[in-house]
Amino acid sequence: MFAYVVRRILATIPVMAIVALFVFSLLYIAPGDPAAVIAGDQATPQDVERIRASLGLDRPFLVRFGEWVFRILQGDLGVSIFTNLPVTTMIQQRLEPTFSLMILTLCLAVTIAVPMGVVAAWKQGTLIDRAVMGFAVMGFSVPVFVVGYLLAYVFALELDWLPVQGYTAFSNGLWPWLENLILPAIALGGVYIALIARITRATMLEVLQQDYIRTARAKGAGQRSILFLHALKNAAVPIVTVIGIGVALLIGGAVVTESVFAIPGLGRLTVDAILRRDYPVIQGVILLFSFIYVIVNLAIDLMYTLFDPRIRY
Amino acid sequence: MALPGPRSGQPLLEVENLQTHFRTKDGVNRAVDGVSFHVNAGETVAIVGESGCGKSVTSMSILRLIPEPPGKIAGAIRFQGKDLLKLSDREMRQIRGNEISMIFQEPMTSLNPVLTVGRQIGETLRLHQGLSAREAEQKAIEMLTLVGIPEPARRVREYPHQLSGGMRQRVMIAIALACNPKLLIADEPTTALDVTIQAQILELMRDLKHRVGAAIVLITHDLGVVAEVAERVIVMYAGRKVEEAEVGPLFRTPRHPYTQGLLGSMPKLGSSLHGEETRLAEIPGLVPSLKAKIPGCVFATRCPHTTDLCRQVAPALEEKAPGHVAACHYALKEEALAA
Repeated sequence: MFAYVVRRILATIPVMAIVALFVFSLLYIAPGDPAAVIAGDQATPQDVERIRASLGLDRPFLVRFGEWVFRILQGDLGVSIFTNLPVTTMIQQRLEPTFSLMILTLCLAVTIAVPMGVVAAWKQGTLIDRAVMGFAVMGFSVPVFVVGYLLAYVFALELDWLPVQGYTAFSNGLWPWLENLILPAIALGGVYIALIARITRATMLEVLQQDYIRTARAKGAGQRSILFLHALKNAAVPIVTVIGIGVALLIGGAVVTESVFAIPGLGRLTVDAILRRDYPVIQGVILLFSFIYVIVNLAIDLMYTLFDPRIRY
Repeated sequence: MALPGPRSGQPLLEVENLQTHFRTKDGVNRAVDGVSFHVNAGETVAIVGESGCGKSVTSMSILRLIPEPPGKIAGAIRFQGKDLLKLSDREMRQIRGNEISMIFQEPMTSLNPVLTVGRQIGETLRLHQGLSAREAEQKAIEMLTLVGIPEPARRVREYPHQLSGGMRQRVMIAIALACNPKLLIADEPTTALDVTIQAQILELMRDLKHRVGAAIVLITHDLGVVAEVAERVIVMYAGRKVEEAEVGPLFRTPRHPYTQGLLGSMPKLGSSLHGEETRLAEIPGLVPSLKAKIPGCVFATRCPHTTDLCRQVAPALEEKAPGHVAACHYALKEEALAA
């Protein structure tokens, strides 16, 4: 087990290296000259050249990549071209809203989607099953921003139950924190719920055909115990896998959701940085998101052993 | 320990005109079509027949494990006087695993792979006897000892994949017997096991039957197993009962041509290697489709003695000798000829 974890962590190094190389190349691939942007409209070619030299943009690619990686390993993501603040500081300021949104969405989605999928499989072919599947198709096909604006319109503007937008830090209390996040979490969770519910239903349908389910029934186990203990535990591995893969959806969706609900998180930071061609910030955020994704999926792989004793590392 | 039920009077289980039909896309499949039999307390009754004759469906119908729909169970299944088909789901759950329990054919897949052996044995005890988790584990260890699993205190924490096929079937037996059921239904309990293990499992079942005093309904296609453990035999063919007798008379003087065919197709020790007849006898043809209503005798298409009467009129079950019934127009005649 320990050896496996070490091996898996070591295996993330090449993955992160490739991500880093890609992220760094952005500067070269993307159109537009950052030096020209920083210098502004009035700058002479000499000014642009001076800025380019000061940013190190005139030196060879690999040399700069090496230096960049070396600094990242020391925890230095560089300085924002736009605000002149260290990128790490900027990310830290934006971390809490985004993490709050993602974790709340994750919890909400799992607690709604898994029972939905289980019941749909149990009641296969009935109206309930069709309703769940219909909802899943809708979740997939309606974009996050449409759901977001719709929710904001109904629950914030018309009913006035929840704030329209903004974010309150967790340190100000649970409810103020929660009330700002409920609508964004629902909007962001739609696709995720659809994905998890579908895979739960499909896996459960397969598991419910198994001989050991018949054995459980022959023992006199109740329906709830059959579904949620005997069957769901056997269906857990694919479901958990999809939950892990779906974190990518959350990351992508957070960018849009934060814009819709004016949440000052990493998503907004990313959008702003892209608009300003603030390359150090873009690079830092992408690296962070990739890292989170890799770590979440490592954690998921390790969780398999909790559900299936046949899996040993 | 369960007390043996009353020997006289009411039987423990009484199945009357059981009909289990399945609705399929191309018509109704009459898997079991009008089967009646009874089981006395403490008795071992075997139901034999080839694949698809409805013996497994019969056993699953008793515990109402047939998914409804597409299945539909009709008739009456009286257990200790109560008609199981009239019970609510909740009442039925109190019978399952408690008063009637079941062992299945596939020990490799019949145990839940993600729960410990102890938990799976303990589940019935917690459900039906209200034991705490700790008490259930203690009892599970006792049950593992009873079914002859070495190191029960260690095994109780293990998962099914850590056990061999024979051990898993022992665990299934432990689960089935944990609550001292009055009736144990064993659906091909030894089919998936290799021969030496088969003998051990049969021996174990026989031994435990005496200790627990449960009646057994043994579903099998293996006549060797029947001869070894059963007291009474029911022969099924195409969803019907075609013959029933005590095990001795059935093997000595089978009345129904199907039973004769079954016994004739059994290999005998030494007979297959030497002598002139090196080929085993077989019953030609296949079990008829159960989707069309068969007007005459269900066995008519494969029977060596078929006449027009057989094709047109279904033979009723008749007592051909005391305690020996068969559904054949000519069964008595043959006996008379033989005499």
